[in-house]
Amino acid sequence: MSSIYPKIYTIKNVDKETLEKWYTKLVVGRRLDERAPNYLKQAIGWSYHAPYAGHDGIQFAIGQHFDKETDHLFPYYRDMMTCFSAGLTEEEIILNGISKATDVAGGGRHMSNHFAKPEWNIHNVSSCTGNHDLHAVGVARAMKYYSHKGVSITSHGESSVSEGYVYEAINGASREKLPVIFVLQDNGYGISVPKHMQTANRKAANNFIGFKNLRIIHCNGKDIFDSMNAMAEAKKHALEAGEPVILQANCVRMESHSNSDRHELYRSENERNYVREYDPLAKFRRMLLRYDRFTEEELQAVEDNAKAIVKVAHKKAMKAPDPDPATIMDFVMPEPYKAEKYPDGVHDFDGEKTKLVEAINHTMKAEFRENPDTFIWGQDVANKDKGGAFNVTKGMQQEFGEQRVFSAPIAEDFIVGTANGMTRFNDKIRVVIEGAEFADYFWPAMEAYVESSHDYWRSNGQFVPNMTIRLASGGYIGGGLYHSQNIEGALATIPGVRIVYPTFADDAAGLLRTSLRSRGMTVFMEPKALYNAPQAAAPVPEDFEVPFGKARIRRTGRDITLITYGNTLIYSLEAANKLAEEGIDVEVIDLRSLVPLDKETILNSIKKTNKAMVVHEDKVFSGFGAEVTSTIMDEAFEYLDGPVKRVGSTYTPVGFNRILEKAILPDTDKIIATAKELKAY
Amino acid sequence: MSKTGIFYSFHTNKTKKASEKIVEAFGKENLVVINAEEVNEKNFLQFDNYIIGVATWWDGELPNYWDEFVPAIEDMDLSGKKFAIYGLGDQKLYPENFNDGLGIFAELIESRGGELIGFTSRDGYEYEKSRAERGDNQFYGLCLDQENQARLTKKRIENWVEDLKKIFI
Repeated sequence: MSSIYPKIYTIKNVDKETLEKWYTKLVVGRRLDERAPNYLKQAIGWSYHAPYAGHDGIQFAIGQHFDKETDHLFPYYRDMMTCFSAGLTEEEIILNGISKATDVAGGGRHMSNHFAKPEWNIHNVSSCTGNHDLHAVGVARAMKYYSHKGVSITSHGESSVSEGYVYEAINGASREKLPVIFVLQDNGYGISVPKHMQTANRKAANNFIGFKNLRIIHCNGKDIFDSMNAMAEAKKHALEAGEPVILQANCVRMESHSNSDRHELYRSENERNYVREYDPLAKFRRMLLRYDRFTEEELQAVEDNAKAIVKVAHKKAMKAPDPDPATIMDFVMPEPYKAEKYPDGVHDFDGEKTKLVEAINHTMKAEFRENPDTFIWGQDVANKDKGGAFNVTKGMQQEFGEQRVFSAPIAEDFIVGTANGMTRFNDKIRVVIEGAEFADYFWPAMEAYVESSHDYWRSNGQFVPNMTIRLASGGYIGGGLYHSQNIEGALATIPGVRIVYPTFADDAAGLLRTSLRSRGMTVFMEPKALYNAPQAAAPVPEDFEVPFGKARIRRTGRDITLITYGNTLIYSLEAANKLAEEGIDVEVIDLRSLVPLDKETILNSIKKTNKAMVVHEDKVFSGFGAEVTSTIMDEAFEYLDGPVKRVGSTYTPVGFNRILEKAILPDTDKIIATAKELKAY
Repeated sequence: MSKTGIFYSFHTNKTKKASEKIVEAFGKENLVVINAEEVNEKNFLQFDNYIIGVATWWDGELPNYWDEFVPAIEDMDLSGKKFAIYGLGDQKLYPENFNDGLGIFAELIESRGGELIGFTSRDGYEYEKSRAERGDNQFYGLCLDQENQARLTKKRIENWVEDLKKIFI
C-alpha cells in the first residue's frame, strides 16, 4: 500500500490552453450545480439535487481519466462534475436535471441528478449508492476474460463502505485481481450522519488494508492537481498490475446533502463557513493567479463565457420535449428469443425419459457449446466432481473451463450484482447464476435483484442484464424453514423480470434454452424435490424450446380448471386421476411461466369448465395464486359457477419435523377435498 | 544574529493563540512576525532562521495557505536556512493523522535543502499514526494538542523555545 504518486500535473507545468479548458469546465459545472435549485423553485424539475460543490477536484479528475473507448464508469448521484468532465454536455446535464425525453441517461425515467450516458459506458446507476460497485466488478471480470485493456471506475461517498455490497465488491475485485478503481469521495457525512458513526476508521479506505492485490491511495479531492495525479496513478496501477485500487479523496460538502436536507440543523455556522473556505474552485482560481498563469481579466473572461454557455444550454433544454405518458410500458422487458421450432412449447417426441436434473444439465451444456459467451457461477457450482448442491452443473467446469464455470464466494448479492455487471461489457454475453444454494438464501441478493429489474426501464431500453437466475426451490424434502421456501410470489411483485417454474424435464429444458437465448432477466425456479423423481422425468427433444408465457394443459377435463405449477403439479395430476374415478373430470393447467402469465389458456379453460381452483406450494395468503384468482374474477366472472378456490400452504414457515411439514404444505388429499367442495357448487 | 521569521495564520484561532505564546517566549524583539496567509517568495526567502506554524486540516492535509505555497517552495533552494516547525493536532479525534501537516511541511523543507531543528520527544502523546514522526522517538518539531492536552502546552512551548533560542539567538 502506498499513497506516493508522481506529480504529473502541477500548476507550473500544465500548458495554458489546457488550464483554460479545465477552468472553463470547472466554472460551467459549478454554475450548473448552483443553478440546479432554481429549476425546483420555478417548478420546472430537478427535484432531487445533491450538490457536488467541494468535490470538484476528484470529480474533475475522474472524468478526465475516463476513456469512453476503453473504460466503464459508474458515477453516483453527486457525480455531476464527474460526468460533465467525462464529456456530457451542459445541455445533457440540464436535460437529466429536468427529466426531459431527450435525457441521455434514460429519457426522464430515472431520478434527476443521476447522470449517465450508457452509449459511452457511463452507466445509469441506482440511488442505493455503492451497489454499483458490484456492477463495476462484474464488467471488470469481463474485461479480464476478454483481455480488454481498460478500467472500471466506480464512485461514491465514504459512508457507503458501511454497506455490505461494497465490502463484497472490494473483496471480489481483490480475490479475482480485477482492474477496478473504487473512488471514495469523503466529505465526512452520509447525509447528516458523521463519519465516526459509519466506521471507527476516519480513513475508511484503510479498513481494507489487509486485502491482497489491492492498492490504497489517499488524495486531496479538493485540489485539482493532486486529484489528477492520484487518479492518473490509480488508473496506471489498475492497468499495469491488473488489480483494484481504492482511491480515497478528501472532500468537503459545501452545501446540504440534497435539497431535502438542511445542513444548518446539524452543522454549526463555524463549520459551514470552514468548509466554504476550502472551496476547490476558489483554490484553483487563486493558484492560477498566484503563479501568474492567468490575469484577473483573463479569468473574468472565462467566467463570463461560462455564464453564456450555461444560458444557451438552458434555453435549448427548456425547449426539449417531455416524456410521452403513452410510452410507460416500453422497455419493461425485452422481446424474448422466438421459439420458432416449438411455438407452443409442446412436442410429440417419444424417446427415453430424462430426469429433471439431467435435462437442466444437458441443456446448459448444449447452450454453452453453442454460445462461447456464456458463463455460470454460484455457490458450490464447481469443485472437482461436485457440480452444485444437486449436481445440476456436474461436468460443466471440466468441459468449459474455470473461466466460464466457477464457484462464487458465499455472497448472494455479489453473485447477482456481478452478473448484472458482466453483461454490461457487451450484449452477446449470457450469464447463468445459481442465485443461492437454495431459493431460501436468495434474500440477501434482493437489492441486486430489484436493481437489475429496473435497468431496462430506467435506462429507456439502453441496457438490460442478460441473465438467468436459477433457484432450487420448494419443500417436500423435510428441509424445514431454510430449505423449503417458495419465493416466486414475492418476486412476481417486481416488474422487469420473467419468472418460470417448470415441473417436467422437457419443459425445464425448453424454458432454459429460451432463457439462455433471450435478452433480459429470467428467474428459473427448479422444484428440487423433483430433480431425480420419476414423476417429473420426460422424453426431451434435443432442440426443444418453450416460449415464455405459454401454459401447458397437462390433463384435459370438463368439470374443473385446476391451475398449478411446480411441485404441486405432480400432486394435482394425481388428485385429478383419483377424482376421475369418482366422476369429477379436472383439467390441469401447468402455468410453466408465471411472468408473463398465459391468461388466454386459463380463461379459455374456465369458459369450458365454469369452475376454477388454483393450487401452489407457496402460502395461499398473498401467494402467486392470489394474482391468478383476481385475474379470473376480473376477466371471467360471468363464466364462473362457483368461487375460485385456492390450495396452498398455511400462512406459516415450513416446519422441519415431517409431521409439521405435512400439516403445512398442500398435498393430493387437500387438493381432492377442495375440488370436491368446488364441484358441489 | 541571523534574522528569524515566524509564520502563522492570523486568521486561525488555536494556532494563533499558541503562536502568540511562542512569540512571547522567544521575545518579540527577536522575531519578524508574518501572516502565513500573505506568504510569498519574497517575504519567505528573506530569513536565515524560521519558525513555522503548520496546522493539520481534515484527515492529514496542509491548510490552504501553506498548500498553495508548496509549488513555490518546490523550486526554492533552502540550503543554509534553519527551520523549526510547530503544529496543532488532535490525538483523540484524529489519531490516524496526528500533526501530519507538520510532517508534510518538514519533509518538503528538508527536500529543498533546509535544515530542520527543534525536534521533540514523542513521550507523553497517544495517537495511532503521524507523518510528524522521525526516527529516534522524535517529532520533526513541536506538536501541540489543545483539545486534549491544553495544560501541557505552556510548558511544551517554553521548553521548545529554550532549545530554539540556543540555536537562533
